[in-house]
Amino acid sequence: MNNKYVQQFKKGSLEMILLCLIGRKETYGYEIITELNNSASVLGYAKEGTIYPILYRLQEAELIKCRLAPAAANGGSKKYYSLTDKGRNVLDELILFWSSYENCVNGFIESYQQVRESK
Amino acid sequence: MKEQYIKQVEKELSLPRKMKKEVVRDLNEVFASAMEHGETEQQIIQRLGTPKEFADSTAEQFGIDNTKSKKRNGIISALAAFVMAAAAFSVYAVAQSGKVPEGAIGQADAATNIQIEGAFAFDISQILLAIGFAATAIAVLFIIRTIHENRR
Repeated sequence: MNNKYVQQFKKGSLEMILLCLIGRKETYGYEIITELNNSASVLGYAKEGTIYPILYRLQEAELIKCRLAPAAANGGSKKYYSLTDKGRNVLDELILFWSSYENCVNGFIESYQQVRESK
Repeated sequence: MKEQYIKQVEKELSLPRKMKKEVVRDLNEVFASAMEHGETEQQIIQRLGTPKEFADSTAEQFGIDNTKSKKRNGIISALAAFVMAAAAFSVYAVAQSGKVPEGAIGQADAATNIQIEGAFAFDISQILLAIGFAATAIAVLFIIRTIHENRR
């Protein structure tokens, strides 16, 4: 399923997913892509072309920070991302909102299904 | 292919130099990490999108409309070139009209005098003319390029 409505859902939640991934432990670009691809059956394959711009925005908003570490096999350096305090607060808020949002949407779905079943 | 891709992104990206450098570093890491895991440059480029797509969506996240600021830069360059052309032409015009010899009472003997000081004066006005035409050409080029960028 890959229509534009589904795309919209994914687009809206990708930032929160990234914050969760980065909030778990310090991580780097390729690891993020790999982790996301574990859920490729639902999310679709992650693309650097999508992920990096979002990382730039999260960094610009000071929700994540990064440090460079030398990486010999990587031809230079690797960038490790972690949450800032601000990022952790925002993620906590987002998670709270997500739960109430989920309840709310489920409520509409249930009311629809009840009407359908009674027919 | 990788070098060409990164160079193209750099060209398309209108960001402050420092941020641009950061993006280029990140792209190098993207290629290095993925190739370390046995992926081909072709596969990686497919995930990155075209250089223009990558540059535009990156700039967008920094709050900069890449296409707009590229267009603005083109217009500013064209205007600067036009101003330069106008300046060169008007200095040329002033120089031409100021060629009446100082010692002349009437202007009848001007022709001979001009020929005498000709060697030097003529060179400068020729250079001015050349600068004027070159600047006009550059201005026109910038306009064409800006229009072309917009169409893409």
